[in-house]
Amino acid sequence: MQPPSAINTPRRIRRRGPTSEPLLVRWLLMFIALAFMGLFLVVPLVAVFVNAFGQGVGHYFGTLTDRFTLSSIKLTLLTAVISVSSNCIFGVAAAWAITKFDFRLKNFLITLIDLPFAVSPVISGMVIVMVFGAQGWFGPWLIAHNVRIIYAVPGIILATTFVTFPFVARELIPLMQAQGRTEEEAARALGASGWHTFWRVTLPNIKWGLLYGVILCNARAMGEFGAVSVVSGHVQGKTDTMPLQIEALYQNYDTAGAFAVASVLTCLALVTIVLKAWAEKKGAVSRPADWGIFGGV
Amino acid sequence: MSVEVRNIKKQFGRFPALHGVSLTVESGQLVALLGPSGSGKTTLLRIIAGLDYPDTAEGRVLFYGEDVTELPAHKRKAGFAFQQYALFRHLNVFENIAFGMRVQSRRMRPPEQEIRERVNKLLKLIQLETLGDRFPSQLSGGQRQRVALARALAIEPKVLLLDEPFGALDAKVRKELRHWLRQLHEEIHVTTLFVTHDQEEALEMADRVAILREGRIEQIGTPAEIYDHPATPFVYDFLGNVNTFAGQVREGSVVIGKTKFAAPETAGQKEAGAIAFVRPHDIHISRGPGGPGKLKARVEYINAVGPFANVELSRTDTAGKINVQLSQEQLGKLHLKHGEEVHVELRNVKIFTEDYSI
Repeated sequence: MQPPSAINTPRRIRRRGPTSEPLLVRWLLMFIALAFMGLFLVVPLVAVFVNAFGQGVGHYFGTLTDRFTLSSIKLTLLTAVISVSSNCIFGVAAAWAITKFDFRLKNFLITLIDLPFAVSPVISGMVIVMVFGAQGWFGPWLIAHNVRIIYAVPGIILATTFVTFPFVARELIPLMQAQGRTEEEAARALGASGWHTFWRVTLPNIKWGLLYGVILCNARAMGEFGAVSVVSGHVQGKTDTMPLQIEALYQNYDTAGAFAVASVLTCLALVTIVLKAWAEKKGAVSRPADWGIFGGV
Repeated sequence: MSVEVRNIKKQFGRFPALHGVSLTVESGQLVALLGPSGSGKTTLLRIIAGLDYPDTAEGRVLFYGEDVTELPAHKRKAGFAFQQYALFRHLNVFENIAFGMRVQSRRMRPPEQEIRERVNKLLKLIQLETLGDRFPSQLSGGQRQRVALARALAIEPKVLLLDEPFGALDAKVRKELRHWLRQLHEEIHVTTLFVTHDQEEALEMADRVAILREGRIEQIGTPAEIYDHPATPFVYDFLGNVNTFAGQVREGSVVIGKTKFAAPETAGQKEAGAIAFVRPHDIHISRGPGGPGKLKARVEYINAVGPFANVELSRTDTAGKINVQLSQEQLGKLHLKHGEEVHVELRNVKIFTEDYSI
């Protein structure tokens, strides 16, 4: 027979939360996620920096201060600045038009904005060649007027702008749709002109979403390879952006040099990620708790 | 005549919102636009504010005799308060109220000192002096609505337009704000139009009430006129608190069920279907012998809470419900019992035939 005390001892029962799983399952899921991340993210990241310094610090800085490399960094920054700012203007204008006005072809425009995401960047590059190249629609006219677009900087900027075109608009459209028009209407009724309404009401409400879109757009603009490769013509020191310079160095068996340039691009990407996380957080904080009620009239 | 609208027509896609509405509002009055949802009342308010435009050229909006139809919203000086407040979420209460002054052109803009004074005065008026640096998300619904009002008043509007000002508030805050707004109106006397679907709110607050139905003004008048002499069956019905009896007009009287009621006002009219409206307090319950002018009914339910008792009866012939309101004293004298049969007399009967009202 059992001693009575054993019966009276209360048994502690640990109950799991409704969405929790047994320890083993949790552990396994975490392991898979971390292993996957390690294999596909951390290892390549480390590899970039290890390879970059593979032939010593001298070679690393030698490559970075090389005439062609410096020119590619400059071109990449120039391209990014121009395409990001033009996409920023386009994105705000498109999101504004789509969310604040009713017009025909609205849904068509929303669908069309996604086009650059849907087609391969190589095709984007080829389209630009077809339009502006020597054999393209405007080719003869451009040659006659001595304007070079393909195999020159304008072509690279055009290709990059095309490929990165949806980022800002895609970010702003759902945000502005959720916010509705009433704050703008209130501003108008209070005597604000359209210009004042935009700067004092619309822009402050969308600034974090806009920044987030700009950051994503910039990351893609600096890293674009396919489309740019088609239109650039690969003239080192003239039409090579950083991704193209990396490829050129790699093709010339200068692996360490290629990775040195790649490490700069990687650092830019890391900075972008940090900025993105910050913008996301700020954006979330600035949203009021009763976000939904501003929706309709 | 501070606000006048003439022949406003408006259609949204295939849905007609307003069919030629005309309305005049006297200076300094508080006018309610009352109607069920979809009656066009908000559309009319938005057209007055310049946030929407009439469809046809005959549709005009005038402020103090000046035609403002072609003026965009920001040049009309009409203070507008939205149903969901639409406060600027990135600005604090102070800056929300100051907004309308800050966005004026340099020539028109008051100096900073004056802006501050005016905002502080308004904060005092809405009893939120200490909350100037709060953000809209940190305020309660009633506080937000008051800020929205102050913001609209800050531009010294020619007319104040309020879209369902208490629509999103709970019953208690609604009542408080209603009194507050009425008092505020007594103080500042700015011509005010407000939209509501709550007949009690309209009758309690407004100097005049315009009742809208499917894009037309059904009746306009003082709350007493509207309540005591509804012009159409719709108005009667919409104001609520009324019993309806289907019947027949015949030889100067109206027949409801098997009972004949004298209705001299229908004399000389052809026989026709009619609806009789009687307010609950115009119904008299009695025992004793039936007779002409009395309907038989059974007591279904007695609710004796508050100063008045409500008794629900059902007619013995059609089982139609009759609501009766009587004082606690009368109820005490009657000693009504559940299920008991009584006679009811109808007073102040309003009869509407087909589409002609008497």
